[in-house]
Amino acid sequence: MNLLQVSQLLLFPGLTFFVWLAFLFEWLDRKTSARMQGRLGPVVTGPFGILQPVADFFKLASKEEIIPAHSDTFVLRWGPALYFAAPAIGIAFIPVLGFQGILNHPLDLLFMLFILAFSTLMAAMLGYASAGRFSTIAVGRLVVQYTSYEVPLILSMITPAILAKSYSIQGIASAQGSMWYIVLAPIAFAVFIIAALAELEKPPFDIPSAKTEIVGGWMTEFSGNTLAYVKLTKSLSYVFLSALAVSLFLGGPSGPVVSSAAYVQSVFYAIYFLVKLFAVGFLIFAIKTALARVRIDQATRLFWTIITPLSLAQLAVAIVLVFR
Amino acid sequence: MPFGPIHPSLKEPEYFKLILEGERIVQVVPRIGYVHRGIERAAQERTWVKNIYLFERICGICSFAHSLGYTHAVENLTAFEVPKRAKYIRLIVAELERIHSHLLWLGLVGHWAGFDTLFMWVWKDRERVLDLEEAITGNRVHKSYSTIGGVRMDFPDGIAAKIKSDLEYIEKRVDYYETLVQSEETFSVRTKGVGRITQETARKLCPVGPLLRCTGIARDVRVEDPYAAYDEVPPRVQTSNDGDIASLLKIRLNEIRESSWMIKTAVERLPLGPYKVSVPRVVPQGESTFHVEAPRGELFYFVKSKGGSSPERVKVRSSTVANILTATEMLKGHTLADVPIVLTGMDPCFGCMDRISVVEAGKPKSWSISGEDLRKYGIEYYKGRKSR
Repeated sequence: MNLLQVSQLLLFPGLTFFVWLAFLFEWLDRKTSARMQGRLGPVVTGPFGILQPVADFFKLASKEEIIPAHSDTFVLRWGPALYFAAPAIGIAFIPVLGFQGILNHPLDLLFMLFILAFSTLMAAMLGYASAGRFSTIAVGRLVVQYTSYEVPLILSMITPAILAKSYSIQGIASAQGSMWYIVLAPIAFAVFIIAALAELEKPPFDIPSAKTEIVGGWMTEFSGNTLAYVKLTKSLSYVFLSALAVSLFLGGPSGPVVSSAAYVQSVFYAIYFLVKLFAVGFLIFAIKTALARVRIDQATRLFWTIITPLSLAQLAVAIVLVFR
Repeated sequence: MPFGPIHPSLKEPEYFKLILEGERIVQVVPRIGYVHRGIERAAQERTWVKNIYLFERICGICSFAHSLGYTHAVENLTAFEVPKRAKYIRLIVAELERIHSHLLWLGLVGHWAGFDTLFMWVWKDRERVLDLEEAITGNRVHKSYSTIGGVRMDFPDGIAAKIKSDLEYIEKRVDYYETLVQSEETFSVRTKGVGRITQETARKLCPVGPLLRCTGIARDVRVEDPYAAYDEVPPRVQTSNDGDIASLLKIRLNEIRESSWMIKTAVERLPLGPYKVSVPRVVPQGESTFHVEAPRGELFYFVKSKGGSSPERVKVRSSTVANILTATEMLKGHTLADVPIVLTGMDPCFGCMDRISVVEAGKPKSWSISGEDLRKYGIEYYKGRKSR
């Protein structure tokens, strides 16, 4: 691994770039839902309050950390780092400057599935380790919700893989040159967005973090640095899932490129990627603001009786399209 | 599983012991008294007029209904007749308060169902009603408007057009919210069939207000025993037969429309004349009760005078006291996730209803204790606790 790759991994378009994107996403989320609800949203820190998530992060990180007496200190200390690592590694596989991510592997789509599962597992572990009454209930709900949305999530991610006949994100992104998979497999895209809402614990699936029922969900007992990183991880997952949607369904960074020089192409690709990313982001913001929370039994029923059969049907259609 | 007294879904401290089978609720035991403020006792120390401002502070939402109940009860003891103009103004402010209370409730239901957008929108519209209240009475929340013998200030000139246009805006929004709460799938699955209450249960437990009307029993103090100008501008009582949160939504939205119509009619028909009569500071001896229809339901006032400058005894029964047992009944059979929305469904006001009763076996129903004895009893009580 040479110096260029390391700096790409850590700076652009790697970790630093995506962390700032995560802050930007959080600000856009707050601003969009505020405008939709007839409020102003953050206005004080920076122009239009754009630095508010950054200020929040540093404020939380500088605060005293209180560790509950009965908690598992080891997990609480090292868990957030692992939890943060999941989307932080995942974003390295997202193609931004070209059709190749910084890291890539012929089977990296399967690794993405693992990362999504691992993220939820870490959330469950952290919730149990903090040993709070509300966090325990929240973890129960989190796991029930995970078991219901995992199958449609995997099916919706496999559909583009079948269409592209490739298990790598690079292969899927570059195979969409003529036709984006959102056109070929619109249901898979919709299912992916719905499952992403459940993965991100956003309405209507914010059941594990329903603040009017169980306070802060599985994050209730966290404070200080831990809470700052857990919150940052949630924003990073937000960006990660949107970027995954862009790569799998919206042709990745593809778009009309006028120049043949490599670095000019990269600039074009990065701009196309960002435009698509924010489009997906706004879709999620709008859905989450417009809906109310459902109950856990209703969510489970929805996923198993409607969304899973739909994504199975979409998968069958994709197989017919490819192997007819 | 304890629910409260400090819980994120309760804005006021109250304790509910939930007995669960898995996630299902089989029994609910409420325990009240966490925000008992001793207002009835404090009223005995204050003059008749000062008490208006005290009783208003029982509730921050239906404050005008409280002052209305109290002033009517006191006016019953005096021989003065309230001027007709004052009666109409009282009706206007009381109905504005009903609109603002119902809108507040609608927003809260949205909030507890995880539908924050509805909450923000409704509360923004509610501001208009509060502004109208401010324009008429000078205050948004504790209006201190009704006074013994009429109202404190005259109805302002040139406000009729503003009232009309603002109310038309509210009516339009209410129509929109009605379609919203019925058509929004994620919201309607949380409200339809949740918090069921049958007519028999309602007859047994005697809830008041919308909670009673949602079972199909059309009872409303404004119609049955009209006060203020309700005999001349009578409301149509809104009922529903479903007895769940969705029907409560329907009733309250219809009541907003009805109130809006009543205000507009009352403003049109507003008679000229004095807006208050001067009443002496001493109220003649006697006892009187009065009930008004607060936004949450029937509100009772009992006033006893010995002929002095302050009351001998005032007793308040706010609507939440009547409703709380019904709410516990509504919770049975539902899951833990439904508790906030069902509790909000009855529009609780725990601050209004908290009371304390001391029962000691072997003593008669009421006894008195001197301040010195009470102090000694307190010292002994805490000594005993420390040694335990």
